[in-house]
Amino acid sequence: MSSEAIGKKDLSRRDLLGLTAIGTATIAGLATLGGSLRLVKPNVHFEESTQFKIGKPENFPEGTVRVFDDKNCFIFSDSDGLYAVSSICTHLGCIVSLTEWGFQCPCHGSKYNPEGHVIGGPAPRSLEWFEINQDVDGSLVVDSAKTVAAGTKYIFT
Amino acid sequence: MDGTKQSGLVKFKDNLFTVKDSLLGSFIRSGAPTSDRSRTAIMFNNFFLHVQTVKTHINTLRPSYTLGMGLIALFLMIIAFISGIFLMVYYNPSIENAFNSVKDINFVVSGGKLMRNVHKWSGEAMIIFVLFHMTRVFYTSSYLRGREFNWLIGIVLLVLTFLLNLTGYMLPWDQLSYWALVIVANIIAAPLEMTDIMGVTKYFDIGGISKELFLGGLVPGKEALNRVYLFHIMLLPAAILIILGVHFWRIRKDGGLTRPDKFDRKDTDTTYITPPDKTGDIFPTYKTYGLMELAKGKTPAVDNDVENTVLSWPNLLIAELAVMMFTLAAVVAYSFYIDAPLKELANPAIPENPAKAPWYFLGLQELVGYSAFMGGQGIPMAALLGLALIPFLDRESEHTGIWFSNKQGLTVTIISFIVGTVGLIGTLAFTIQYGWFRNWWPNIPQIVIVMINPGTIWLGFVMIWSLATIKITGSTRMGAIALFTIFLVSYIILTYTGTVLRGPNWDFFWSQSEWPIH
Amino acid sequence: MHSRFYLSLLLISSLVLMMFIGMGVYREMTSEWKTYQTEYKNMLVRNAEDDAARKRAEKLEIGLRQNYVASLNKSDRCMSCHIGVENPYMAKADQPFTLHSGDYIENHPVDKFGCTICHYGQGRATNKKEAHGKGHTHWDYPIIPTKYIQSACAKCHDYKMLQEEGAELVVKGEKLFREKGCRGCHKLNGVGGDLGKALDGIGSKPRAYYAMKHVVGEHTAYNWIKQHFDDPRAIVPTSEMRVFMEEDESDLLTTYIFSIREEEMPSKYRFLKNIVTPPRDGESLYKMFCVACHGSGKISVYDEIFDRTIPAITNPPFLRSADNKTIKNIVMEGRGGTQMTSWKTTASGLKEEDVDKIVEYVASSRTYERPEPFNYLEFQTNIDSGMRLYNNRCSYCHGKEGKGGNRQLGINLKNSTVQQVLDPEFLALTIRDGREGTPMPSFGGDGLGLSDQNIADVVAYVKTFGKKK
Repeated sequence: MSSEAIGKKDLSRRDLLGLTAIGTATIAGLATLGGSLRLVKPNVHFEESTQFKIGKPENFPEGTVRVFDDKNCFIFSDSDGLYAVSSICTHLGCIVSLTEWGFQCPCHGSKYNPEGHVIGGPAPRSLEWFEINQDVDGSLVVDSAKTVAAGTKYIFT
Repeated sequence: MDGTKQSGLVKFKDNLFTVKDSLLGSFIRSGAPTSDRSRTAIMFNNFFLHVQTVKTHINTLRPSYTLGMGLIALFLMIIAFISGIFLMVYYNPSIENAFNSVKDINFVVSGGKLMRNVHKWSGEAMIIFVLFHMTRVFYTSSYLRGREFNWLIGIVLLVLTFLLNLTGYMLPWDQLSYWALVIVANIIAAPLEMTDIMGVTKYFDIGGISKELFLGGLVPGKEALNRVYLFHIMLLPAAILIILGVHFWRIRKDGGLTRPDKFDRKDTDTTYITPPDKTGDIFPTYKTYGLMELAKGKTPAVDNDVENTVLSWPNLLIAELAVMMFTLAAVVAYSFYIDAPLKELANPAIPENPAKAPWYFLGLQELVGYSAFMGGQGIPMAALLGLALIPFLDRESEHTGIWFSNKQGLTVTIISFIVGTVGLIGTLAFTIQYGWFRNWWPNIPQIVIVMINPGTIWLGFVMIWSLATIKITGSTRMGAIALFTIFLVSYIILTYTGTVLRGPNWDFFWSQSEWPIH
Repeated sequence: MHSRFYLSLLLISSLVLMMFIGMGVYREMTSEWKTYQTEYKNMLVRNAEDDAARKRAEKLEIGLRQNYVASLNKSDRCMSCHIGVENPYMAKADQPFTLHSGDYIENHPVDKFGCTICHYGQGRATNKKEAHGKGHTHWDYPIIPTKYIQSACAKCHDYKMLQEEGAELVVKGEKLFREKGCRGCHKLNGVGGDLGKALDGIGSKPRAYYAMKHVVGEHTAYNWIKQHFDDPRAIVPTSEMRVFMEEDESDLLTTYIFSIREEEMPSKYRFLKNIVTPPRDGESLYKMFCVACHGSGKISVYDEIFDRTIPAITNPPFLRSADNKTIKNIVMEGRGGTQMTSWKTTASGLKEEDVDKIVEYVASSRTYERPEPFNYLEFQTNIDSGMRLYNNRCSYCHGKEGKGGNRQLGINLKNSTVQQVLDPEFLALTIRDGREGTPMPSFGGDGLGLSDQNIADVVAYVKTFGKKK
């Protein structure tokens, strides 16, 4: 074998080791980085339960309008039943207030009709409606994590 | 004018289609590192690489010379920095929530426990490797020939490493944190001992004021946690980064790492370097001058051993990458099995017994057992001052780059090691067995104990021992070796005593299994 | 091969790093709670009654469950394993899936109360060992044993309601606490004696507060309290505590002890409909503060623990020689050098009117008229004669120096009460008439033959004990 050939063989062997080593190092580095970045996503939220009791059906006769400030939610009762509408504006998350003609957002002027449909301003979507269930003891439970189609009204006895 | 417009758009189109190449080219300005020229250019043109020389001496790349200690310490610091940033995502520096947030990191954050362990252990390993690095630098006489200033910077970095670890120890606000904070605050207040003796505490309460400034009050509480947090995540990291920058810059300025004046290549050198390409070599094998070298005039690198240098790309960078990966893998593996301690929530009413400082300060705590001022401030200051003065009191630079200087140096090291071990263990054993002045004469004035205690006696002995070595050998370097060796031995023995042999009420126990249950 | 050393180091290190990252991910994926949740999900799917239920079960998300109650500052993750705690179909399932027992959960929904507010343990933890906080877990408040669980009810509910709604154990415990005289030595809310530690917030004390050396079984606060009720000196060898427990009384008292807590519950959690103040008549107060040492007060007993005689205080002879003012003086000043501490308001927090009630109660057993008075001041006393008489007749029990104690029957005559609080007439009456029900005999008249003059001499001599020599 000529010395040139030995040199070449040497070089290729070194290249193989070098490529493997640097390749593995890159993968290991990326794995470490990826694993570390996963840490930033929280696994638990320090927020109160999204479900809350609002009382018995008889407390909500037809025509009732109740505001639950700490839960950001309106409860209405009309001839078709009971329904819960979010008070969080779908534009940028301000809290809308109830008016004679519907809902008004103070931040950027979004307007909604009494059903929560957008009638003005920058809001992209209607106000959300929440699911209402009846508990075993008969009291009503609103779950602000579960939205239902606008117009879903519940009749409870 | 249509033509110009047309050609303008064509130019734009051409540019658009070559964005990939031109963008890449702006990042990798020197082209692929396929020739010595481009390898050189990379080292010059890259901000992060240019702090290193284009060519590296083979001696630097020999693992047996540096042992990679300084590099490992640097990577440990980087690991601690990055893991620390991840921990800050969840940590909350308030006494109501600090403990809970650390619990949350342990329990519900994905990989949080591992990250916390990595942070903790990389930080503590940093202490060990900074000390190792210092030991290497010392025994190879690398503090001479223009490197005196860098040795001083190194000592500052050592202190900063200690402080970073200590402040981190206090953040979880568990029992360990709280009582370490109490002890440290009182060590800070230790000049009280001296001002009391002098009777000037009323006018000049330097200890009390320092303590109040540190704690933001008189007892550790929310202000103290805030201040410690400020130190840990902001002031100390900023300081260590800046000073580390100076440290590296000085290495360049001082002509790179030390090496023996007479350097011999070995056959085994090829296992950790790649010799330069013969084709298209821009560096003749005889000699060369860098611009910087000419500008500075006489420096160690000029006209010196050029034939024994190799290109930093890839030689040095591969070595650094390997050491980095090794450090990271070792820290992660250790952290996988060993959890960082977290005790009960801080309780100001119930001290830990024994209330131990973190292990790296248990040597000091052993000394503090004699006198808070001398043990906590006097002796550490004296030790640091002694270390700092080594390059100025020993000017014998002929052994630079050689482990233990010569045969005599090795002998002095071994003898000092034995004398240090036997002497210090003897001193400690005597004190543990027979007590000290206060046990014999209960009414002895405090000043006598502050001045004459096992710690100061040992300090005096070390000084005499070093001077005697200088006198006998006629070499200041031998005196320095004697001093440094005993310093190392003392740190290790005192730390071991404080960590393993001290139990509840700071009583002596052979092991923790003998501690009384309580 | 060139750079072989560093390239190999790089390769091996990278492989090791990858391995440990992989192992880390695996450890997270197979955590205890994930295993339980998977098992629970399979159980639901398997036992689903219809397709809808099966679909719901299949949609169950596997993930950490946290119950955060801001007003209680509790983040309980217990339901990550105890996932069926509110599911009525899980009534017969094994732990950790079981439905909560009883009907507590109906009125105490988990989302409003969490778990650790009643059960303790480490709610933030996500593995069994650390969540239950037993053993060496560095957690101060391990899960409370079920037999003491009612202590938590008393955080929010009044005793009348507890009695009516089935938490009678803590009610009984509270009654025992009032009637066993615990506060004779322990202060609570600033009122009580000083011999023992104050009990404010005792239920919230961390594990490290207790010396666990002699506790049998697991080293928890619960075991310490319970076992030290059963036998104080087995847990604290130097304890002077006097408790005599019958059967389950120590459990009841332990339950009550753990209802004495530092933390204040938010007002919306408190449910205090019927605030009933415990009775404060003489008898109740006597039981609350005096009964632990004096018992019924009818007979004097030599007490091994105190190493002295605890005098009878409700027997007629004592009451005959001591008028109400003297008794009140003793109570208010205490008996220096003995376990009887001062009950002045400044020392004990007890109001003077309460002391009056106690004295009235003690004196209510007085059946005799006050005896023939002893006009001490009419006598010319002779101290030397008193000393001779004392050394002959009294020193056997009271000691040559009048110190008593030290396994002698007599009380300490040197203490400040005898010397300063008690008037000579009372001492003279005691010597003359003796103290029935105690070893102190009657020395006067037909008894042991001391004349009134002799008695006056002895009293004069005894009174010199208080003066420094």
